[in-house]
Amino acid sequence: MNKLMQVAIREFLATVLTKAFLLGILIPPVIMGGVIALMPLLMNQKPPRTEGRVALIDQSGLVGPLIDAEFTPEKFNEAAREKIEESQKVAKQLAPQTRPGPMNMAVEQALRTDSQLTLEKLDAGAGVDDEKSRISTSRRRDEIQGTNPRLALVVIPKGAVDLAAAPKPTDAGAAPEFQPFDMFVAPTLDIEVKNQVENAVERAITNARLRNAGMDQSVVRQLTRPVRSNSITVTDQGERKSNDAAKMFIPAAFMFLLWMSVFTSGQSLLSSTIEEKSSRVMEVLLSAASPMQIMVGKILGQMGVGLLMLGVYGGAGIAALIYFALDQNIDPMNILYFAVYFVIAFFLIACMMSAIGSAVSELREAQTLMTPVMLVLIIPMVLWMPILRNPNSVFAQVCSFVPPVSPFVMVLRIAGSEPVPFWQIPVSMAIGIVSVFVAAWAASKIFRIGVLMYGKPPNLRTLLSWVRAA
Amino acid sequence: MQPPAAAIRIRGVTKTFGPKVAVRDLDLEIPMGSLCGFIGPNGAGKTTTIRMIMSIIFPDRGEISVLDKPSALDSKDRIGYLPEERGLYRKMRVLAFLTYIARLKGVDAGDARRRALLWLDRVGLKDSAKKKCEELSKGMQQKVQFVAAIIHEPDLIILDEVFSGLDPLNRILMRQLIQEQHGQGRTIIFSTHAMYEAEQLCDRIFMIDRGVKVLDSTISDIRRRFDPRTVVVEPLDHLLLKPENPVHARAVHALQTLPGVHRVVHSGSDFHVGLDTPPKGVMTEIMRAMDPLGGVRRIELKQTTLEEVFIAIVQAGGRELSDAELASLSANGALSHSGSRMGGES
Repeated sequence: MNKLMQVAIREFLATVLTKAFLLGILIPPVIMGGVIALMPLLMNQKPPRTEGRVALIDQSGLVGPLIDAEFTPEKFNEAAREKIEESQKVAKQLAPQTRPGPMNMAVEQALRTDSQLTLEKLDAGAGVDDEKSRISTSRRRDEIQGTNPRLALVVIPKGAVDLAAAPKPTDAGAAPEFQPFDMFVAPTLDIEVKNQVENAVERAITNARLRNAGMDQSVVRQLTRPVRSNSITVTDQGERKSNDAAKMFIPAAFMFLLWMSVFTSGQSLLSSTIEEKSSRVMEVLLSAASPMQIMVGKILGQMGVGLLMLGVYGGAGIAALIYFALDQNIDPMNILYFAVYFVIAFFLIACMMSAIGSAVSELREAQTLMTPVMLVLIIPMVLWMPILRNPNSVFAQVCSFVPPVSPFVMVLRIAGSEPVPFWQIPVSMAIGIVSVFVAAWAASKIFRIGVLMYGKPPNLRTLLSWVRAA
Repeated sequence: MQPPAAAIRIRGVTKTFGPKVAVRDLDLEIPMGSLCGFIGPNGAGKTTTIRMIMSIIFPDRGEISVLDKPSALDSKDRIGYLPEERGLYRKMRVLAFLTYIARLKGVDAGDARRRALLWLDRVGLKDSAKKKCEELSKGMQQKVQFVAAIIHEPDLIILDEVFSGLDPLNRILMRQLIQEQHGQGRTIIFSTHAMYEAEQLCDRIFMIDRGVKVLDSTISDIRRRFDPRTVVVEPLDHLLLKPENPVHARAVHALQTLPGVHRVVHSGSDFHVGLDTPPKGVMTEIMRAMDPLGGVRRIELKQTTLEEVFIAIVQAGGRELSDAELASLSANGALSHSGSRMGGES
């Protein structure tokens, strides 16, 4: 047992402490995590303070009295809040299980402004071109004009409020339309501030139109609130809010994570076995430990590598889900299943890899023997979409019991939306575990003979004859 | 407790690889504390035998007990093994490699490191401790591998082709190290093609050819059996060696008619005089016979070397030679090789 652990520890360290592994496998998620961690800091920055005047030429004479009420800081804040809440509701609709929290914060930060605007009412007859030229067009001009530059000019024609004053439509029979209002803005104006001004003017014009038509604006507003839908998926386990993105993304992420960690560590098991054999260090090891100890030790060491990768990538993924408050899409039970299927998948692939690695003397020679392994590994990559779309199809169900594809398929199905009939989980696990023992037995036979065989690389039939040999 | 009499006991072991019989009905007993040379031509089954002793491969038939255990697996930590095909982890550092091997052989962590450093110092590789194995020269790698084989202070040391690839100085160092280990009471078996080293070091030699044991005795026994039976005579007058010269026939006749001489051949500048009996008093007789023909420049007893024994056995078709055959080996002038002499130069 001690020898086995020695082999495992060396295998793990020799794989992990290489530049290729550290740079290629561990650094990317660390960078990603760093970016995610820094994001709130970047987002928490206060929006730039906007100070200045908004000039208004009210040619209708109807908006001017109403606009003051809309142009107060409170009203601006209220409007911003409303908009933020609206966006949060939309976000919630897209991802219904999302807790308010980071996502709302993100929305709020994107929409928050800090503005100190004063309204400058001009004469209804003031010259538009003349006033337009007084808008501050550059930061330098801001300085010249002092701390209170003119940032925008709003021109409200009579036709924007009074339909009678609007120009007649060119098509005969078409309904008359309100005229748009003009808004000239400084290029430096923050887009959110511009939107706020626009919205304030819009609200004032709407109110002016309603008043002009003799209606109560508060009643109208209440009645014209947007209609929202509430999509709910009906399942055997009861109703739950559906979340299409998470439904596709999370199972696929689970499977790819499994695939990547199994494949990468399996690959390094293959190359380290070949290295030990071709550098003839194997016989030194064989004089100290049994072939079984060496093989299992190496497999365990590489499993450590696989688990490390799983931990780093899976941990980063789960951290991201928690950060975006999407973590309730993951059932803790699924993580347990995932761990069991990882062990099964890893051992199956690792047994194949160490058998192949022991039988050949060069990586190049391993390629022909790798073909069947690769075919098996490609199946989940090719079929994940159809399986995910139809997780309880006959094909998917059959694949759930055929190792070494079964762990990948089961992970997809379990994490997917359609519940897997419960009996299938223990049965596929049992088949998987039995197959692990069969694979380990066969691999150890091949390993024992293979590590001492040099020369012509054996073919599959030779490997099978080694398995049958005592 | 009485120490076991045999370090290794092999009984009736046969091993086949497909149609090829690598080792056939091998019986062998290696006493505790002996220093044993294992010789045989390439492909004779030496490495197979050693691997079976090490339980790396298993015999088809027969029994092997190592250090009184039925399998080397039960006493792996008491055996040091330097395989013929040896290797190092190319990217691993020398100290880390030795520590790892020691740990693998049951030495605990602190001790493993301490011993590795000590041994690196002993073999002159102190400065290479932090180097990667691939940075070492072949000779340095050999030394590291030897250290790896003995770092756990085993009772039994098996060294396969230990002298191959070493320069003369490192051969001497290796001999010293082997003798030192032997001096500490360890049983050592080494296979080699270097007959000189085998003769020099071993107290026991065994040889296999084509999977069959053909020689198994102590050096002193071989010496006794290979009693020198050839006298090399170089006449002062080289004309005697020319067959067309009439004196040649006279010289041959003079030697041949001496008592106990059964044949005379000439090779190069010498006459090789084969004897039936141990060469007691024959030397003076030969010198006296040669006197009228101009006298003798050089006369010596030609001793049979291990190399000659080796070649004779292989040429005899790989069977154990009878005493008579061994005796005739030394009387056979055709086997004169300028090799090392049995018994050494001292």
